[in-house]
Amino acid sequence: MKRKIVPALFLGLALFGLIMLLSACDSADSSSELSPQTGAGGSMARFAITGNTLYIVSKQSLEVYNITDGGNPAKSVKKDMSVGIETIFPYQNNLFIGANDGMYIYNNSNPNNPVFLSKFTHVQSCDPVVVQGKYAYVTLRNGVVCRPGNLLSSLDVVDVSDPTNPMLVNSQAMDSPYGLGVSGNKLFVCEGEKGFRVMDISNPALPVNKQFFQDIPSYDVIVRNKHLIVTGQKGLFQYQFDDAGSFQLLSKIPVL
Amino acid sequence: MKKPLLFALLIFISLSCITESEPNFNGIKFDGTGYKPIYSTVEDLAKIQVSAPQPLVQPGKIYVFDPYIFINESGKGIHIIDNSDPKNPQNLSFIAITGNYDMAVKGNWLYADNLSNLLVFDISDPKTPKLAKTIADAIPVNNYPPFNNIYFECAESKKGIVVGWEKVPMSEQPKCFR
Repeated sequence: MKRKIVPALFLGLALFGLIMLLSACDSADSSSELSPQTGAGGSMARFAITGNTLYIVSKQSLEVYNITDGGNPAKSVKKDMSVGIETIFPYQNNLFIGANDGMYIYNNSNPNNPVFLSKFTHVQSCDPVVVQGKYAYVTLRNGVVCRPGNLLSSLDVVDVSDPTNPMLVNSQAMDSPYGLGVSGNKLFVCEGEKGFRVMDISNPALPVNKQFFQDIPSYDVIVRNKHLIVTGQKGLFQYQFDDAGSFQLLSKIPVL
Repeated sequence: MKKPLLFALLIFISLSCITESEPNFNGIKFDGTGYKPIYSTVEDLAKIQVSAPQPLVQPGKIYVFDPYIFINESGKGIHIIDNSDPKNPQNLSFIAITGNYDMAVKGNWLYADNLSNLLVFDISDPKTPKLAKTIADAIPVNNYPPFNNIYFECAESKKGIVVGWEKVPMSEQPKCFR
């Protein structure tokens, strides 16, 4: 085993170096900005677009399409993955892929041919992921569907500053987390029927519970700057919020 | 530490969907319920319909492409909302798509899943999206329910295309397990 690990480590380091070189000039952080051409999904998404590339994760693969000609997607490559793939979240030059047994990181500096960098393995669960700065936030939901047994649901904070070597820095209990969103010093966690959780991440490695809205059952969330869009079994809710933690309901489209 | 777990997982995976009748799998007893495939026909799956705005029933994932919000109706299609004024969003149209859960947008193009098919819509007029292209079998799908440690009726291709699974009481232990 050891003989295999050492070359892999070197390859990983070399790749990481290459990525650092390639990303050195790309200092613009576009995490909360939308390009005029493409939109943004929530953390539960299986579809993601960056530039002229459409990424789709199936249960067991990453499918890559070139959409330079938008009306005619052209298959670039298919990357076979293990079973239980759930979500994809592009951030800067990496694709963060949530699976039943962990989080995969692929580098997409070459958008049409993403390269596998690492896998952060955790216990069996359902786990969307969002990333901001050097940290990935991953929710792990228990239940018959995802995490059999009596294990707790949790929110894990993973240091991904070295995407070839993700490291767990914090883990705390959640109720029944689905999608999540991050913007500035706030982390939002959809807690399904239980409600909607707001956390402070002034210390990004240590999210702290701030508010819990029990009257907003939530499944998926998109947050941009100070604008929050949430869906759940009651419908679509939009809020404006400020740093102090005051939330103003802008509108709702109720479920009928 | 992780090796026994991995080994157990391997065994577990290799046990999935064994078609022989065993008393129980993985130590999990059959509790009188199991998952049954919901079948659709090729024709139904291909039926894509654009209609007037529909109320939200079971909203799923969301996608933002200014000034629009796309809301998935779980397994049923996509609501297109004009969100130019977030205080007063306007429901514009609904695209009925069987087996739809996901979407993404670039420019005038909306990409959506239709079970294993990838659809491309021209949304230059979001009130009347037009199906521009269907790429068949673009997304590999599994012929088993998206759950673990459950019994299910094995899918039979001659009965149609599996578009979903429902939990139902079963008098006999079904042959498939995962």
